[in-house]
Amino acid sequence: MFVNAPNYNNIIAYHGPISLNLTSFVGNYMKESVMADQRVITRIFKVFIELVQNVSNYSAQVNDKLQDEHQKRNGIGWFSIDENETDYKISTGNLISKDHGPILLRNCDQINKMGEEELRELKRQTRKQSSIRDVGAHIGLIHTGLITSNPLDIDISPVDEAHSFFRITAKVNKAINN
Amino acid sequence: MKSLVINTEPDSPYYPGVFFNAETGVCEISGESYMEEAYKFYLPLINWIKEFVLNEKRSLELNFKLIYFNTSSSRLILDILDILKKFRDEEHDVKVNWYFDPDDPDVKDEVEDFEIESGMDINLIEMT
Repeated sequence: MFVNAPNYNNIIAYHGPISLNLTSFVGNYMKESVMADQRVITRIFKVFIELVQNVSNYSAQVNDKLQDEHQKRNGIGWFSIDENETDYKISTGNLISKDHGPILLRNCDQINKMGEEELRELKRQTRKQSSIRDVGAHIGLIHTGLITSNPLDIDISPVDEAHSFFRITAKVNKAINN
Repeated sequence: MKSLVINTEPDSPYYPGVFFNAETGVCEISGESYMEEAYKFYLPLINWIKEFVLNEKRSLELNFKLIYFNTSSSRLILDILDILKKFRDEEHDVKVNWYFDPDDPDVKDEVEDFEIESGMDINLIEMT
């Protein structure tokens, strides 16, 4: 389930239904517990919220046995934040519909090939085309690639005939260049 | 017309604070914004702005003091800026200030992107 990363120290990891209150609590816990430049903490928080809200909104797995009607809709998945000497690693994993795998692979591959200005242009175009009533603006991964300046590391593994498992890792550098 | 006031709450920090002052036309959105279904939160704000500019016909100043907003919220912020740009083009007196956190290394680029997308001028002011 969790990625065992050699040479990384774990800050927090979780697996289960992901509510907004949990996301907020962990994000604020991270702000208080990570010893880093405030600008780095700001970036970790941004990446964490985007990736974890993707799990909450789009995971193909929920728990409809929970009591609260709202919680029944929260996606199930895992997240972890780890650090080593040079960077912080924010990872999430969740079940997806098998059909979404190739789309995610193509989108991430496109993001990883683009430079900063191309990503900003793609972000502007994609945001402009999204509807205000959509769950998201469809720019979370573009934004993550843009602010981390690192390639998105993703893996998609088959689970059964209808589902795959999607894992994504974004790295926030400890050194700030701008 | 009544002012629109939404206070921030410690148990739901993902909703920003809102103070749209109907007497002065000075409006502020502050704090963090990463709620679910962002449009449900922002639509009343958008409707208030439309009503104020079109019915009250007075000048409006919108001050963003957001220290974090997720990409869903950014779509609604863009919608607000699109509307203000349209009003400005129709000779309404509207102005946007963005107070930025110097600890956010990416916010200036984000505001520049909003300007490019909406065509609305945004004054960048460092938070003190």
